[in-house]
Amino acid sequence: MLDRSGARSRALGVKDKKPIRKKSIRKTAAVLAGKATGALSRASGRGGGTTLPGDVARAIDPRVLSKLASDLTQGSVVITGTNGKTTTARLVTWLLEGAGYRVVSNRAGANLIFGATAAALNKAGPDGRLRADWGVFEIDEASLPKAVAEIQPKATLVLNLFRDQLDRYGELESIAKKIESALSALPDSSTAILNADDPRVAEIGLGLPKPPLWFGLDDIRVAMHDLPHAADARTCPKCGASLHFDAVYVGHDGVYECPNHDFARPTPNITATNIKLDGFERFSADIAKTHIEIPLGGLYNTYNVLAAFAAGRTLGLKPKYMAERLRNVEAAFGRQERMEFRGRHLNLVLSKNPAGFNETLRTAVDLAKGTNFLIGLNDRKADGTDVSWIWDVDFEQLKAKAKVVVPAGSRAHDMAVRLKYAGVPAEPPQAEPGRALDSLIKATNEGDTAHLLCTYTAMLDLRAELVRRGWAKPYWET
Amino acid sequence: MPRSKKQAFTVGWLYPDLMNIYGDRGNILTLLKRAEWRGFEAKLIELGRGTTQQMEEVDVFFFGGGQDREQALVYADLLEFKQPPLEQAVRNGAGVLAVCGGYQLLGHYYQTADGELFPGIAMIDVKTEAGKRRFIGDVVVDANIDTLNPKTLVGFENHSGRTFLGPKARPLGKTRLGSGNNGSDGMEGCLQGTVLGTYMHGSLLPKNPHLADYLIRSALIRRGVDELSPLDDSVELAAHERILQRAQHAQSR
Ligand SMILES: [Zn+2]
Repeated sequence: MLDRSGARSRALGVKDKKPIRKKSIRKTAAVLAGKATGALSRASGRGGGTTLPGDVARAIDPRVLSKLASDLTQGSVVITGTNGKTTTARLVTWLLEGAGYRVVSNRAGANLIFGATAAALNKAGPDGRLRADWGVFEIDEASLPKAVAEIQPKATLVLNLFRDQLDRYGELESIAKKIESALSALPDSSTAILNADDPRVAEIGLGLPKPPLWFGLDDIRVAMHDLPHAADARTCPKCGASLHFDAVYVGHDGVYECPNHDFARPTPNITATNIKLDGFERFSADIAKTHIEIPLGGLYNTYNVLAAFAAGRTLGLKPKYMAERLRNVEAAFGRQERMEFRGRHLNLVLSKNPAGFNETLRTAVDLAKGTNFLIGLNDRKADGTDVSWIWDVDFEQLKAKAKVVVPAGSRAHDMAVRLKYAGVPAEPPQAEPGRALDSLIKATNEGDTAHLLCTYTAMLDLRAELVRRGWAKPYWET
Repeated sequence: MPRSKKQAFTVGWLYPDLMNIYGDRGNILTLLKRAEWRGFEAKLIELGRGTTQQMEEVDVFFFGGGQDREQALVYADLLEFKQPPLEQAVRNGAGVLAVCGGYQLLGHYYQTADGELFPGIAMIDVKTEAGKRRFIGDVVVDANIDTLNPKTLVGFENHSGRTFLGPKARPLGKTRLGSGNNGSDGMEGCLQGTVLGTYMHGSLLPKNPHLADYLIRSALIRRGVDELSPLDDSVELAAHERILQRAQHAQSR
């Protein structure tokens, strides 16, 4: 454990003894202005102040994040990928904090570079110095080159590359190129930790000057044997042939090989085996010969935990310690939340793209035996303004298994059409969150569970309504 | 007693694994279900690379959009395998719905920003040039098809290509909202014989059930079907109506 007061007095000592150098004045001004903005925006109640302070500070000193990151006593971890960034970042933070480190991390989905800057500002003192040991930053794929250049992380994690919000980011290929350029520019002292099961991520990793640390699942019993419709990277980068999959775990992530044998899944350095899933509640697995039990559900979380474990090992944490610490992960982890209302159990799960949605549906229907659903679809910028992707989600999974399905969100009517063509009888679409909740509650018996699967802002809208009704706590208090 | 054989309705999906980035499965499902609900035996034939199997049986072909890398793979296969049987099928009255990348590949050529020319299969009289700005957003079109009710089509566009129509192709409709073919002449899509090209996805057909029926009916005429029994389209048309309302909202701002 670190002595926090000692660390603080050391930091103050530095400030007292050394005259403030010219180049840090700008940083200090940037930090103070940013912090003031954060305080104002929180006080005005407009939100958690998650990115605006970063905007302000970066306008004063564009290198403020890079300077703050170099204040960290240990270094940083950067986490990217289409799905699982937030959960994995929280897991890594949880592991590091449990080992006594002071960790700075961006939360609440503010995963652009401004959010990372704002998070660092938050933990900086009045002298402009960041007082923390580790930085754990979740970064959008598109911002990765910039973030990596500024933060100079010890480890960079790439979880997966799925199709997501084409209108916002352009095509998968351009995102992949950005990740590739970011990883190629990493210093030798930095480790890339990559998902071997994702063909597009593997292609990037195989071309890197320094071999990455590969992670992957290794348990055929939890695999599907066919690619779902949402899969989108299934051709060989060398010869263009369609890849052959021996196992499919999530989306297009699995065990694959080109029929012409010029490209295959790299052999993982660290695997999860003996995976046992139990709905949204928990899973257990053996990771690097260590038995892990964790109160997080779904195969997608197996990937997140495996990635966090691989990061922990790279940063010097002991497997036995990590297994112990992961056992007690808080329930609010993951983008999932449970609450009670008049004896009904509500299970909110963020489901924002085809690969993610298919997995939450699979978990809800097959593992949790869910029968009551609210499917929330919004089309604001953070959700993606193009809702075409709902046709790639296998809502057919709900057929003959769901009893109640309420299409909700600003595009509830599109969802109603999708469900109709999936052969799933649904309630009338409800664009207004309060009405959608009422419709769900009315149809759900006491003691039963209802699963609320929502895109990002549809989730925020529902939560706001739940907070208004006193069923849920505001975000920044959790 | 022999069971009476249902009449078949067959959809051919060109490159379902490579050309499906904009939720194109919605178009396929809509065609199949709407035929099935009317008592046809709906069949899907997936036409991946290297295969030309059963292309003569297809009533409606669907050709969607892909990413650049996949589109390049498709291009070679289209010229080598699919072009002759596709042309033959269309001569025999089969319909084609081509969206985005598929729309472009059926035209004369696609010219990149560097001036490089990729010839298409010239099945429709259109040509496409790369543009700088991407057109992204809702599209509402007043369709050029007399029998459609309602007259409007709704969708979502996301493309940087600028497509221009020659004299043999006529526009699918006039844009009320969105950029359409090229952002300059106010037109969207094209109709030439039984081929329909468009930039609209969303998916296109689920919220435009009347257009789906138009495609099904046009293709089945040659099989002696001239009327489709009516279906309850209230769910689809409510979603259609929501987009029209948003469009009105966007314009009045
Ligand atoms: Zn190959």
